[in-house]
Amino acid sequence: MRALTCGPSFKTWPGVEQDMAECSEISLMLGAFEDAELEPNEMQEVAYHLARCQSCSGILSDYSSVGRELRSLTPALDFTAPNLAGFADAVIARIDRLPQPWYRRIERYFGSGADFLGSGFAWGGAVAAVAVVTMLLLTPYAQQMSSRRLGAPSAASNQLAAATVAQPSTANDVSSMADNDSHAVISRLESGNPSVAVWSEPRKDTTVIWLPDQP
Amino acid sequence: MRTPGRQDGDEAELIERSRKGDSEAFGVLVQRYQRRVIGVALAVVHNQDDAVELAQETFIRAFENLAKFESRSSFSTWLYRIAANLAIDFWRREGRHVVLHGEDADNEISRLPTTHGDSFKEVARSQLSKRLKEALEELTPEHRAVILLREVEGMSYDEISEVLQCPRGTVMSRLHYARTHLRTILQDLAGS
Repeated sequence: MRALTCGPSFKTWPGVEQDMAECSEISLMLGAFEDAELEPNEMQEVAYHLARCQSCSGILSDYSSVGRELRSLTPALDFTAPNLAGFADAVIARIDRLPQPWYRRIERYFGSGADFLGSGFAWGGAVAAVAVVTMLLLTPYAQQMSSRRLGAPSAASNQLAAATVAQPSTANDVSSMADNDSHAVISRLESGNPSVAVWSEPRKDTTVIWLPDQP
Repeated sequence: MRTPGRQDGDEAELIERSRKGDSEAFGVLVQRYQRRVIGVALAVVHNQDDAVELAQETFIRAFENLAKFESRSSFSTWLYRIAANLAIDFWRREGRHVVLHGEDADNEISRLPTTHGDSFKEVARSQLSKRLKEALEELTPEHRAVILLREVEGMSYDEISEVLQCPRGTVMSRLHYARTHLRTILQDLAGS
């Protein structure tokens, strides 16, 4: 390693003016020249200077030595060494111990489920959905709902109509007032036969008949 | 349930799977970048055990923050940046110290002169390494990181600029300062 300064060791050629200022400018670029990180014209300029300047060549050589020493100082990482052998596994083990956010757990569960079952899962889901809709449409409840929408009398309402035949006038009143308020139905019935009271709620298919106690 | 890992998956796919919590996919990325991430941390803290610990922390932070990773910079640069930031923070928190552990200590011991061979050269070699380490410790973590990322990790100025989040001109001036400083130390040793 040489102690170098620009100037004294400058090689000079006849007719070439050497400038100390040039050395100080070039010395700032020597590192980048060593790293090949200069623009092409700057690389050319430094190369031209180095060809003539022994001291700057010395600095460049020192920079190379510094780099070499630093590399020798830092041994290559050996991933078979005890402290590095299981590095990746240790990282993954720590990651697996991290608390997972709920959305990620759900995402992983469904994501992996879809991968596992593939398109069969989607087809199965579609078939199941159709089956549920069909069942809903075919149940008595669904029939009841649909018949009510169409205005047709149901079996239950037929029975109730039969039960009120004993009071023909009141039955007619009930049917005629199907859409009226249930309190109004009571008052009409009471006016026809005060000993019988009928509570009818046509919208719920419910009719309650109160009969007087028999002596 | 976990999807089976695929070692040859491309990086974007591995990142996407890791984002969904697939730690096996992330494991492939860890294996791919572990050496360089440790190298970046080592460039700053200059102690292998600390560097390995910091590298682990780097990967965990990266995994937790994958949702924030945008593809504007490369995944590797993003990782190295996390490593550099963690290492610089660690250095500032822990202060300057030189503690040799495990292999580092063994290496130092092995450099001590022996009764065989050229003892003078070995002593000189040992002194050079010791002095160079001290010289590195005298640098700020930023200066040390720049010179070691360049000389040991072989990173380009643009890569260093991205990792340390500073302009390219700053990288050049820090490198110049660090090289001049280390050169002076080596010159002093050569003179003595």
